[in-house]
Amino acid sequence: MSRLLDICVYSWSWLATIKIFLVIGCLLWFLLSRGLPTLSKELFFGDAPVLQAIFGQVRVWDALWPACVGTLLLVLLAGLIAVPLGIASGIYLACYASSPFKRILSMSVELLAGTPSIVMGLFGFALILFLRDTFLPEANTSLLLASLCLALLILPYLIFTTQVALESLADEYQLIGPSLGLTQVQTVFHILLPAAGRSILGGVVLAIGRAAEDTAVIMLTGVIANAGLPHGLFGKFEALPFRIYYLAAEYQSPAELNSAYGTALVLLALTGLLYSGAFALHKTLEWQWNQH
Amino acid sequence: MESTLTQAEPFCIVKNLQVLFHGRNVLQGIDLTLSGNGIVVVLGSSGSGKTTFLRSLNRLNECYPGYSSSGRVNLKLSGTMSDINHSDLPLTELRRQVGMVFQTPNVLPTSIAQNISLPLKLVTGLGKSEREARLVEVLQEVHLWDEVKNRLKDNAFRLSGGQQQRLCMARVLALKPQVLLLDEPTASLDFKTSHKIEDLLIELQEHYQIIAVSHSLRQARKIADQILIMKEGRIEHLLKKEKFEDPKILQKLLEEIF
Repeated sequence: MSRLLDICVYSWSWLATIKIFLVIGCLLWFLLSRGLPTLSKELFFGDAPVLQAIFGQVRVWDALWPACVGTLLLVLLAGLIAVPLGIASGIYLACYASSPFKRILSMSVELLAGTPSIVMGLFGFALILFLRDTFLPEANTSLLLASLCLALLILPYLIFTTQVALESLADEYQLIGPSLGLTQVQTVFHILLPAAGRSILGGVVLAIGRAAEDTAVIMLTGVIANAGLPHGLFGKFEALPFRIYYLAAEYQSPAELNSAYGTALVLLALTGLLYSGAFALHKTLEWQWNQH
Repeated sequence: MESTLTQAEPFCIVKNLQVLFHGRNVLQGIDLTLSGNGIVVVLGSSGSGKTTFLRSLNRLNECYPGYSSSGRVNLKLSGTMSDINHSDLPLTELRRQVGMVFQTPNVLPTSIAQNISLPLKLVTGLGKSEREARLVEVLQEVHLWDEVKNRLKDNAFRLSGGQQQRLCMARVLALKPQVLLLDEPTASLDFKTSHKIEDLLIELQEHYQIIAVSHSLRQARKIADQILIMKEGRIEHLLKKEKFEDPKILQKLLEEIF
């Protein structure tokens, strides 16, 4: 009987694993078959000459380049705001917070994690309305505002992964620093964080993915269809997920729908690029830790 | 009961030490004066407070939740008796001078060299060349140098359990402690490797005051000059070597206790 159960559990988990590869394979195949033929110079730059378009000397119409730059800047900015804050909060929760306060804080983080992204967008939008009515009449939705709201959205992932990564280090490992006479700060930065680095990297990757794909937040906080390259922190911008969204919703011809698949493929590649950036950063830090 | 051995200057005086975790008494009023040379081995059943006692000597209990304590602990550090709770002795300095090695080897997931070099740099701020000199020195002291000298850049996890434990010891010795606290240092090692560590401890006792928790009677008789027997958070006996040289006497005492 228990033998039969073993076989059942084994085949079930095996099938579940295969399923993941199948789903990813199907998705990729579908995207590649529809999107790959549309990848061309025109998809990225329209009629504009490539070099001048890249440097923003010529305005690009109905093409991907401004959205690529927009998404890249958006994710980088959101990351710059959220990663240090999130990791620091995770450290605080894992290594410093006292238990009653910690419970309240953890609950707040869970609440933040459960907030739908459209609410974050609305919050940003309301903030601008408030600022316009009070002391900043010329405030408007912009790249900075969208990045801030996105940062709020991805903050919980970073806090959770950092906290869990630090807390799951073995007790004996946690005691290395104090038992050798290291200060608490030295222990956190030189002993605990490097050991938890790989798990924290997982959280950063998840956060990057979430920031790159989210449409609801940016729709209310500054993205528009034809902004061109972003004009600074306070300008409007284009973004890949928003472009996919409106191409898919309002396409006029099958070719336009296919270009949405091409855009999706580009977004996927761009996210992969950002992942490898995070991975390289982690490798550099790890390498530095191993030098003496 | 007060346990004393007073033919030499004491190196550890404990007065009415009580330790509680979440209000539960783990050490119940320990009075103890340790003096003389050689290794002190602490024996007792599990839950008798051996490890807590050891950790109260470098104040490591404070890293655990729900800790509170009363009483006094004085240790001989740099030639003078110092109150370990006194504000003149910073906690980090106390823990540098009173080094600790744990039950299971806890190497850092980095290179063998960095395991010694990183804490050394953080605690003492020594320059690179001095750190490298001390690295060689301590690895020789724990007889690990010949085994690792060609693979200092390898990850420390590639070492065997016994080698890892000796690396942990070297990491502590690099900081030039005066007292060594060992919490069942051979508990996770096989018989042969345990012997190696024991021989090493017998060598090290020349230079360091060693207090070790053990669960093995054989080990205690081999390395100890004094045996401290604990039961239910109290010190039951403090035995000198001539007392436990006769295995029957010791066996009888332990049977009373366990």
